[in-house]
Amino acid sequence: MTTDQRDYRDDELLAIRCQMGEAAGFDDLIARWHGPLWTYVRRLVGEDDTAREVVQNVWVRVIRGIAGLRDGSKLRSWLFGIARRTLMDRLRERYAKPADPDIDINEIPADAWTNEPHEDLAALDYSLARLPIVEREVLTLFYLEELSLSEVADALKVPIGTIKSRLFRARQMLRQDMETRGSRT
Amino acid sequence: MTHHMPPPALAADLRRLTVLELSLPARLRYVALLLGASALTAIVSALLLTESGLPLRTSIALGVMTVIGLSWMAFAAWVLRHKRILLGRQRVVAGRMALVFCSVFVVGALLIGYETGNPSALSAAGLGTVMLLVALTIFIRAKRLFAQLSKRRGVLEQQLGRI
Repeated sequence: MTTDQRDYRDDELLAIRCQMGEAAGFDDLIARWHGPLWTYVRRLVGEDDTAREVVQNVWVRVIRGIAGLRDGSKLRSWLFGIARRTLMDRLRERYAKPADPDIDINEIPADAWTNEPHEDLAALDYSLARLPIVEREVLTLFYLEELSLSEVADALKVPIGTIKSRLFRARQMLRQDMETRGSRT
Repeated sequence: MTHHMPPPALAADLRRLTVLELSLPARLRYVALLLGASALTAIVSALLLTESGLPLRTSIALGVMTVIGLSWMAFAAWVLRHKRILLGRQRVVAGRMALVFCSVFVVGALLIGYETGNPSALSAAGLGTVMLLVALTIFIRAKRLFAQLSKRRGVLEQQLGRI
C-alpha cells in the first residue's frame, strides 16, 4: 500500500468513526486536520482573529455535516470545500471578482501540473499574500496543502480545467510579482 | 516560507465545541420533543376528526392545537436534521426510543378505546400505528447504516493493521 493510499484509508476510517458517533473520532479528526485547515484559512484571511472565528465555524459545519459525507476517502476535499464555503460567506466581496481568465489549457505543458515543491516557493509567502483571494486559494490548496488537481476541483466545486487555468494565471501573477520585487532590490 | 501555526488554545476550544455540539442529552431532548409533539398531534387531530357536534369554537381550538403540534414536530425534525445531528449509534438509540414510545401509545389508545368504546381513542390508535410504522422504518434504516459503517470500519482497520 502506498503512502497516499494509506492516507486516504486513514481519512475514510476517521470519517466512519465520526459517522458512527465516536467522540474520540472527532478528537482524532481535529488532531489530523485542524493544522492544515488553519493554514489554509489563515493564509486567505490574512489575520488571526478572523481566521480563528472562521475555523470555528468550519468545524461546526463539519460536525453537523459529517453524517452526509458519502465517501469517506474524499474527506480532505470535503473539509477544504466546507472551509471554502465558510470563507466565501465571510469574504463575499473579495470573492466577487471577474470571471476566470480565458486561457487555453491545452497549450500548457503537461508537467506544469505537478505539486512537487516549486522553485518559486522560496519567496512564495510574501508574494502569495499580495495575490487576489481566488489565485491565493488555488495555489495554497495545490502547493501548500498538496491536494491533487481533482481534489482542488472537488473542494472548489469547479471543473479541473478551471483549476488548471486559475493555477496557470496564479503562477504568472506570482512570478510577475516576484520579478518586480527582484528588480527593485 | 512562513507556516501559520494554529494558536495553541484553538485546538482545545475546538474540542470543547465538539463536546457541546455532540451533547447526547441535547439531542435526546429534541427526540423527546418530536415524540411528544407527535403524540399530542395524533390525539388532538383524532378528537377533531371523530367527535361530532363539537361547537365551532372548540373545533377551531382543536385545529389550532393540531397546527401547533405539527409545527413543533417540524421544528424538532429540522433541528435533528441540521443542528443536533444524530450520528450512527445515536440514530439507533433514537429509533429504539421512538419504537417503544409509539408502541406504548398505540397499546394505551387501544386499551382506552376498548374500555370506553370512544371512537377518538381508536382513531388515535390508528394514527399511532402510522407513527409506529415510521418509527420502525427509521429504526431499521439506522441499524442497517450502523452495520454498514461497522463492516467498512472492520475492513479498513484490518487493511491498516489496527486490529
